[in-house]
Amino acid sequence: MDTYILRKATQNDIGFLTEVVIAAEKSNSNKLSYATLFGVSEEQAKQHIAAMFDEEIEGCELSFESFVIAEHDGKPVAAFGAWIEGVDDETPSKILKSNLIGYTFGREAVEFLKTKAHIIKDLITEREPNTLQFEYLFVSDAHRGKNLSNGIIQKLEELAKERYPQLHKAQVQLYANNASAIKVYERNGFSAASSHESNDPEILNYLPFNEKIIMEKTYK
Amino acid sequence: MDRNQLMAEIKQILIGVLNHENFEMNEALTATDVDGWDSLTHMMIISEVEKKFSIAFKLKELNKMRNMGDMLDLVASKL
Repeated sequence: MDTYILRKATQNDIGFLTEVVIAAEKSNSNKLSYATLFGVSEEQAKQHIAAMFDEEIEGCELSFESFVIAEHDGKPVAAFGAWIEGVDDETPSKILKSNLIGYTFGREAVEFLKTKAHIIKDLITEREPNTLQFEYLFVSDAHRGKNLSNGIIQKLEELAKERYPQLHKAQVQLYANNASAIKVYERNGFSAASSHESNDPEILNYLPFNEKIIMEKTYK
Repeated sequence: MDRNQLMAEIKQILIGVLNHENFEMNEALTATDVDGWDSLTHMMIISEVEKKFSIAFKLKELNKMRNMGDMLDLVASKL
């Protein structure tokens, strides 16, 4: 029988987590927003993502410490991240992440983004303070169908409740056409709460899909 | 440049990026108080401030900024 170990990610996992972010961002498409929106190659985007993890900024999706990894035969095969948004009036993740991206990608990339901002603005969503925010789920092909995501989600929830016992809600944002991920979240008690759609004709040149949904789960 | 002048310059940057002026510029202002100050526009605001004053922020400096007063302190310290 396959055995998996669930553990918190460390700095040594940055290479794997970079692949996780790329796969999750692409969401079964060939559009990597970290490349398309900043006018850089996928290889450059990959280096920037690793560099952002290396900064270890807690409280946003690009912190390796927010990830739990499933390991099989000593190798990471699945991961998912979660952090508590803006807890105790901490800086919102949108600001932390923007600072990280702007600083890491540099001015030329931000100038490029400016020319594309109108295309994606309708898909920018706010994250609710004091909620558990899940981001970047990835399970490698050979290990799908083994309930790994359920185990990781439960582990992330346990860790979050230890740190923040009054936790009352979790949220996850995903592209509306990602049926397999929607099923995973539904199985774990999430349901669709809202959606954001863009009708910009160019959007599919830059992002995997033109509609995002926010799924939520409440805790007693 | 005095603090009021600096604040006025940064206000113009906010208006330019956000395309509105439905906010009251003061030292306590945060991104949460201003419509449209999101992850995208934040990046542009920071980039425009750096360009305008020919300065560069460090990541740690950016993450320590809590409000407009902090931004004014930081910019002033680099001029």
